[in-house]
Amino acid sequence: MALDTLKKIEEAVKERPQELAEARKNGAKVVGWFNYNIPEEIIHALGLIPIRLGIGGDDRLVEIGARYISTKNCVFTREIVGLFAENQDPYIKNSDLVAVDATCLQTYRVAELIKYYFKVNTLILGVPRNFYLPEGQEYFWKELESFTQKLEEFAGNKLDKNKLAESIKLYNGIRKALKDLYKYQATDSPSIKWREVFDAVHAGFYLDRDKYLSLLQELLKELKEEHGEPVIKNLNGDARILLSGSIIPPKDTKLIDIIEQVGGRIVGDELWSGLNPSLNVNIKEPSVKGIADAYINRVPHAALPYLDLETDGRLKNLKQLIKDYKAQGVIYHTLRYCDPFTFKAGETKDVLKNEGVPLLEIHTEYAGSDVEAIRTRAEAFVELIKNKNILEATL
Amino acid sequence: MSRQFSYPEELKSEFIETDSINFKDGTSVSTSEIWKFMTDEGPRRFPFAFDSSANHIGRLSEDVEFFSGIKRGYLTLSLRDRLLKAHEKGVPIILIQGGQSMDPYYAAGGIPLRPGFVSMWARDMKEGLNLREADRRGVEILESGRKTISIEACNQVAAHAAIDDGIVPVDLIAPYLCLRCSDMAYLVESHRNKKGNVPRYLVDYPIDQKNKEWAVDYMATMLRTLTKKISDISGKETTDKDIREEIKVENKGRQLARELTEIWWSAKLPPTNSTDFYGVPFLANDFVGDPVATVGVLEGTKKEVKERVKHSVKGTGVAEDPKRLYVCGSCVGPNPNHVEKAGAVLVGRDDNWSTVSTDVKVSGDPYENLAKAILSFPYEQPTEKRAEWTAEQVKKSRADGLIFMYQWGCNYQTSVARMMADIIKEQTGVPTTFIEVGELGRMEALEQSENRVEAFIEMLR
Repeated sequence: MALDTLKKIEEAVKERPQELAEARKNGAKVVGWFNYNIPEEIIHALGLIPIRLGIGGDDRLVEIGARYISTKNCVFTREIVGLFAENQDPYIKNSDLVAVDATCLQTYRVAELIKYYFKVNTLILGVPRNFYLPEGQEYFWKELESFTQKLEEFAGNKLDKNKLAESIKLYNGIRKALKDLYKYQATDSPSIKWREVFDAVHAGFYLDRDKYLSLLQELLKELKEEHGEPVIKNLNGDARILLSGSIIPPKDTKLIDIIEQVGGRIVGDELWSGLNPSLNVNIKEPSVKGIADAYINRVPHAALPYLDLETDGRLKNLKQLIKDYKAQGVIYHTLRYCDPFTFKAGETKDVLKNEGVPLLEIHTEYAGSDVEAIRTRAEAFVELIKNKNILEATL
Repeated sequence: MSRQFSYPEELKSEFIETDSINFKDGTSVSTSEIWKFMTDEGPRRFPFAFDSSANHIGRLSEDVEFFSGIKRGYLTLSLRDRLLKAHEKGVPIILIQGGQSMDPYYAAGGIPLRPGFVSMWARDMKEGLNLREADRRGVEILESGRKTISIEACNQVAAHAAIDDGIVPVDLIAPYLCLRCSDMAYLVESHRNKKGNVPRYLVDYPIDQKNKEWAVDYMATMLRTLTKKISDISGKETTDKDIREEIKVENKGRQLARELTEIWWSAKLPPTNSTDFYGVPFLANDFVGDPVATVGVLEGTKKEVKERVKHSVKGTGVAEDPKRLYVCGSCVGPNPNHVEKAGAVLVGRDDNWSTVSTDVKVSGDPYENLAKAILSFPYEQPTEKRAEWTAEQVKKSRADGLIFMYQWGCNYQTSVARMMADIIKEQTGVPTTFIEVGELGRMEALEQSENRVEAFIEMLR
């Protein structure tokens, strides 16, 4: 039975489009954004309403988008373009400005296309490929300063240090709450499933952020009353799966459904539409520089190349999450033509093999034609883990 | 059985009267030696290169009286030997990106090669191959890369595979990450999990960087690091003066290519065929392993083109009243032989032309000057701006139509194929289309792209 607070979150999400439309009528401005490195703290501190845009899983929208962007681009980007072409999504319709950071370069191209074809007001934030070098970090800081100036012009006011400090506090609270939620879903007999936590993460793309934090805290309180502190033991023989790879945006449930249907239990994710944006964000000072440094040094997105395997922060994070959530296998989801994740599938598999963790790559799109093929592979993978559990229990 | 191409012996005496080719290392090759290579040694060692099948995209120009074309062919076919010789002498061979400036690489004592040249070098490491065998060898190298990385990688994965498989001795992998290509970053990264462990460095290309001084600073810092890394391998200390001297040489090449192109475009009749014209910006951007040599060949080319224009000579193979076709897109173009057979001639391509169109300032901080020039390459600008520039080139070249062409796996270029085609059509009024090439590097199963190119030309006619 669903937790009371989850129902409240669900209701709040349903009401949000209407709330946004009314807020705009009263003069509020909405900044929709895509990608990975847009700091919401700055948008929020300027009194603007941040909304993380983009949904997946709809082949019809993919087809509409493909009239403008190539079929050699990933389905997520095609669907985004389709969303703008159709202009029915409430969050797309209610965005006064669309901010895009150049982390995933295909998404950057989407910004160019929607500006040209649909006259969308866009704002770009450059992201260095050499993000780990001092010169790359300085470039990002300067980029974020310039981005902030343009946001200030759009908002009609200057960034206030105190307001920024309040926003940072709010977002630190959200990130901490999400990390705590992930611990609960990974326990042996949780009252909350990973899927519900994932939905709660996505609710945060849309809801008023103050309201969102209080709902998350209420949810945590409810869980604590029921469970006490979360303890992850892995004693009940579940096939514990960690999801990694390309984006799984709201409404793209194809792979998640299949894993659950074949008896796998997802116990965590390493996704840029999931937990990753909440990890390792350490803002040392309430300033643009403080935020730039924190964002560029958090868990890197796969679209940013890193030339040394041993010290790669993305792989380090993946290994840590496997350990934290006692995952026994990784399902690595790659969207067709999503090069940042697809090109690294083999290497990631090699790395995890050395750790004794099996990895199954699922390379797919939103079409339903490969559902049964994926089911067969996922089922075999889950069975493999379950058999291993049985074997270990009998030893 | 395919037809082997050969240069008529009666041209020899006239050819050997022309200038020899001088190289950066102070050596030179006489025109007698070039003739011998192109008529005897070359056909024996690289028979595929002399195959005159229409499907052979790298076919030597049949305009045998255009002597600069023969010299360009020599530079291409002798690349393998020159690279091996240079490598043995401690000159670092460096894998880079297509369409980027080469000045810092050569200044620091290295030889930069775009992926296409590395793939070609790898193929040529085995001699005596006919066209079919050469084709098969190229595909084998390509497939080796795709197996270890991804089927969705573009053809440049072959160059990375050639390095990982130890087919060619590349000393450093250090490209710019131009806007042109998103695959390159991940392919460079992929070497970290390979046995060879070739040193790597990336020169980032900040996007959307107009009027951003911090983008120039960022790039200039990376160019300094790049030069130091090459110097560390070559053992040659690189001074600012060295960089300026190299900039002068390469500016000369770029200027020659621009002058040549203006002359070519202004001619009533196309003075050379598409193969010979297409080679010009390649020479002035890629330099085929030696800027000194290619600048010399460009000087000769200019003289010949001028003479031809003066005497209203039409290039061999060019149709009567050909339709003029401009090509843009990713680092790929249509087969010039097919284009000419269909009644058109290629009048430009945005890829190398973007680099060639931009000189580097000589006085002042050379790294900052390079950074400013590199960041102003029209091809690498946001798409609307790039399209505006391409539309200008279409007008200048008096093109009748434009094809935006991209290869399989190049999702960064494909994403804006329609947008580019739409803007250029709107700004120039000429028909535009976009075409995917799935078979780049192969010489079989070309019907899909051939049909599309021919149908477009037919529509123009």
